Amino acid sequence: MFSSLLIANRGEIACRVMRTAQRLGIRTIAVFHHEDRAAPHVALADEAVELIAEVPTAAYLDIEQLVAAARATGAEALHPGYGFLAENAGFADAVEKAGVVFVGPSADVIELMGDKIKSREFAAEAGVPLAPSVTQTGDTDSFVAAAAEIGFPLLIKAAAGGGGKGMSIVRSVDQLADAAVTAASEAERYFADGRIYAERYIEQPRHIEVQVLGDGQGKAVHLFERECSVQRRFQKIIEESPATNLDTELRDRICAAAVALSARAKYRNAGTVEFVLAPDGEFYFLEMNTRLQVEHPVTEMVTGIDLVEEQLLIAAGAGLRVDQNEITQTGHAIECRICCEEPDKDFRPATGAVRMLQEPSSENSRFDCGVRQGQTISASFDSMIAKLICFGDTRDQAIEESLEALGELVLLGVANNADYLSQVLAHPAFAAGELHTGFVVDHADSLAPAPLADLDKAAVLIAAALGDEQFSRLVYETPEPYASIGHWRN
Amino acid sequence: MAFKFKLNGQEHVLGIKARRPELVATIDDKSYQVAEAGDLGDGGSLILNVDGQAYGVWRVATEHGIHLKVGGRSFFVEHEDEITAAQLDSGAGDIVRADMPGVVVSVIAAPATPVTAGQAVMVIESMKMQITIAAPRDGQIGEIHVSQNDTFDKGDDLITMRPLED
Amino acid sequence: MSRILSKLQTNTTEFKANYAHNLKLVEEFKEKQHQARYVRPQKDIDRLANQGKMMPRERLEKLLDPGTPFLEFSSLAANMSYDGEAPGASVITGVGMVAGREVIIHANDSSIKGGAWYPLTVKKIVRCLDIAIENRMPVIHLCDSAGGFLPLQSEIFADRYYAGRIFRNQCVLSKMNCKQLALVFGHCTAGGAYIPGLSDYSVIVRGTGAVFLGGPPLVKAATGEIVTADELGGADLHTQVSGTCDYPADSEDEAIAIGREIVGQWDHTPKWPIQQDAIEEPYYDPDELYGIIPNDIKKSFEMREVIARVVDGSRFHEYQPAYGTTLVCGFANIWGFKVGILANNGVLFNDSALKGGHFIELCNQNNTPLVFLQNITGYMVGRDYEAQGITKDGAKMIMAQVGSKVPKFSVMCHGSFGAGNYGMCGRAYDGRFLFSWPNSQIAIMGGEQAAKTLVEVKTRQLERLGEEVTPEIVEQVFNETLEAYQHQMSAYYATSEMWDDGLIDPIATRNALGVAISASLNAPLGEPGYGIFRL
Repeated sequence: MFSSLLIANRGEIACRVMRTAQRLGIRTIAVFHHEDRAAPHVALADEAVELIAEVPTAAYLDIEQLVAAARATGAEALHPGYGFLAENAGFADAVEKAGVVFVGPSADVIELMGDKIKSREFAAEAGVPLAPSVTQTGDTDSFVAAAAEIGFPLLIKAAAGGGGKGMSIVRSVDQLADAAVTAASEAERYFADGRIYAERYIEQPRHIEVQVLGDGQGKAVHLFERECSVQRRFQKIIEESPATNLDTELRDRICAAAVALSARAKYRNAGTVEFVLAPDGEFYFLEMNTRLQVEHPVTEMVTGIDLVEEQLLIAAGAGLRVDQNEITQTGHAIECRICCEEPDKDFRPATGAVRMLQEPSSENSRFDCGVRQGQTISASFDSMIAKLICFGDTRDQAIEESLEALGELVLLGVANNADYLSQVLAHPAFAAGELHTGFVVDHADSLAPAPLADLDKAAVLIAAALGDEQFSRLVYETPEPYASIGHWRN
Repeated sequence: MAFKFKLNGQEHVLGIKARRPELVATIDDKSYQVAEAGDLGDGGSLILNVDGQAYGVWRVATEHGIHLKVGGRSFFVEHEDEITAAQLDSGAGDIVRADMPGVVVSVIAAPATPVTAGQAVMVIESMKMQITIAAPRDGQIGEIHVSQNDTFDKGDDLITMRPLED
Repeated sequence: MSRILSKLQTNTTEFKANYAHNLKLVEEFKEKQHQARYVRPQKDIDRLANQGKMMPRERLEKLLDPGTPFLEFSSLAANMSYDGEAPGASVITGVGMVAGREVIIHANDSSIKGGAWYPLTVKKIVRCLDIAIENRMPVIHLCDSAGGFLPLQSEIFADRYYAGRIFRNQCVLSKMNCKQLALVFGHCTAGGAYIPGLSDYSVIVRGTGAVFLGGPPLVKAATGEIVTADELGGADLHTQVSGTCDYPADSEDEAIAIGREIVGQWDHTPKWPIQQDAIEEPYYDPDELYGIIPNDIKKSFEMREVIARVVDGSRFHEYQPAYGTTLVCGFANIWGFKVGILANNGVLFNDSALKGGHFIELCNQNNTPLVFLQNITGYMVGRDYEAQGITKDGAKMIMAQVGSKVPKFSVMCHGSFGAGNYGMCGRAYDGRFLFSWPNSQIAIMGGEQAAKTLVEVKTRQLERLGEEVTPEIVEQVFNETLEAYQHQMSAYYATSEMWDDGLIDPIATRNALGVAISASLNAPLGEPGYGIFRL
């Protein structure tokens, strides 16, 4: 095992990685931008190196400085966390070249999985199902004919682009030609590449992903699935394991597909294979994330395996410690992402100082937090500041635990989504497991803040007033007999 | 006297009706029996009992307002002290007057410009000192009563503020 | 302390008759108060609204701390004067709490003839400032007055206790370190200008507030200068140029808020310490007072039943319970404050007078304020009593009472006739506060006694002249005297003339005394100084 580890990240994930590393007796090295100088990950680390950059995020993206920091501190390994440079092949390469072990897959696997087209081809070769699709190669007529064969509804988009530009949903053959022409012209306009692409459009899809571990030698195991269908603005906010309403046979097939892909890629490290699950039970490969996932704790909770520890062991060459048949899934875990944002204003990110922070105390909960009381949340970084993961023997219990813990969480000073997460968890459709990626949008009305009962409103206002100096002085410091007589006119 | 607190965009008037044997607070003329245990001082928490219903309360005040967690939900309440509240109601700070005689060096903001309190709107010179005239409150510039190089006397109107139109 | 054991029978015809009678009296009283406080011609209400002014009582309510009592003085002052044109004597005075400080409030009632000062207005203002002086309390003036009511100028201007006394009292207050704040909502003209002028702090409302020695009409008449009220004495002039006022405000609300903040800066002067115990509500229901007070001035009643419905826990330590029994003396608590109570349970005899004088001395030694509950037809008359020295025993009681250092409070519970009024700390005896119940009557002697006395005098007069004394003449003298008496000895007449600090509902006695005692403790008790007791 390594004796020292540099964590090339910040926030909750840097803290989380450090906790395991420190438990294993590894010296931890943090990096930080000036703005983060008082952040918990800096305080938690045994050593910290400041990265110089004008834009705070640029600091954590500066390969040269990170490699230099690893060298200067004598770090034996580097953990990239998630985001930033975690899936940057060039970074992995530079780290390895500097003689520091990169806790992740090899640069070529990162590159392979990072390429949308190549990764799809590779997945197909591994026998992983892909959503039927066709890319325009010839004229529009032949494209239309080929696309019609896939069946409807269809998603038409620019072959070169993303981000929704030139994207449309086509529900019948007679709309197809027009949509193709429009999409082609938009594709030309936005991406200077008029080629278009059609794929099966899945209504109410679920996001199911599989946690895998690979030893880099071709051996891979899965740690079961996670469901991450509850999303807002295409980002997950609630994840759970196991997925609800998923029959065993289908789950086994999905997990097997993920293992097959990982094994074929000789994948090294922890990784996640993401799938789209259609209501008809068909599932299709989405992508593979070659790093630790934000929502990894739900898997840790139901399997009892510390994924960071496994990552470090694999990176240190110890291989896989567990066989597939030793891995079991027990109980149910739910993760809520605590984000500084305003759910009722289209989840607009919010900034401000965390003036009061009290973690939930329930023993069935885990609070992975990257901020401390007093810290200012700026717009420089991601709005997610913490994760609340709760365990229950059953899904209902896990929901109950989560609601209780969210109620206990005190995070004041900056707007956040804790109440909104409670609304989602308490929603009957969530309880029924009727999940799909459009959940938040479909239930927008019933997820709006519940109107405040008069008594509750009174409690809020009285609580606000009692803390006010002027008001409380009037309440508590009025002398006798004035206080006892009260309002009285003769 | 009236204590005004704003919750979810709505203003409420709080009062005290009785303190013994229990606090009776009024909100918009409706009475509530209040009992509390704990200390809400800076960043404190307590158990608040309103008409027999118990609420866990955490509270912290910032320069913008009061952040609270009450009964498991988070809230933001705005509150102005008595004088500020009265000034906001009366449209105080509508007219910026000259504190001393002088000459207008430059006019920065034009009529109808939205401004925030403290924003520079004019520079004047008086007794060989340049002085920046700032907007007294949020709103928009209504009228500018002087032009560049104009001289003015102590007490002359310089700028009239208007509320921002919705 | 032991509880009074009430012997009151609440299911008797007598109780019910008394109850109905007194309830009706109190309802009439409250209706008169309502009229005096709130009922105004629409044009006056409109005028204030058009000026952007609040009604005076609105200002008062906003100024006071929420959920605290306000003890108003003489709410029915002038109710029998000026054909009822000056309800409450056009001014509101009282004691209340502002920003946690106990203050005297003096507020012009500009809804009555622009807040003009009638003779009784001046008397009421002087009295409230006297209260401030006697009790060493700060004063908040809410100024909005047209000035003296000129048709009656001879009754308000020149004499010792006329308007000049107001400003004299302000100076005395200031010398005693009693702070004063003036909130100028309207005009302060002529002498009235000295109210903010002599205050420590003043806030003036821009546009409506004005302070000047001569208003625009007087200036025009005197010098021909044409000037607006605002130019002559408005907020900007006085806060920017003359320095007569301290704080400009853009609205009445703002002026009140600034005023509250100013008062919030004042130091808390410690109260004079007297014995204070935990507060306890009376054990017996004060509402039963209505059934105790008789429906006829000639009927007597048990004063201990009244005490039981006024004091904390209905507890009373009676002093000399078996001696001089027509004067009940003893210790009790009111809103926690230890007091010594002297209450009439019949005519004062030698022994009761001696007991009263002795008890007053005990209370002075013990720093215990005195509460007098009056229901007195006088000291006993007749040869035997004169022979026993009823006059010199009464004199001892008066001497002890006048020489007291402790604050004294009086409540006119029923009759107050003759010298008994003096011994029991009537208005002339500088009690800190004096309140009357609506059923109470006050006169040099009872109405029928006076009528009979006058008939006697008239008869002798006619006999001397050799004229015939017809029953018609006797009846006429009797009726005329009685009628005049009944008018002048009513509680409404007494309060109209401000022989008291106001009528109170009997069940409000405990609160009124509580606030009054609290107010009195702002002043030091001093030393008792007695003259010569005729032993």
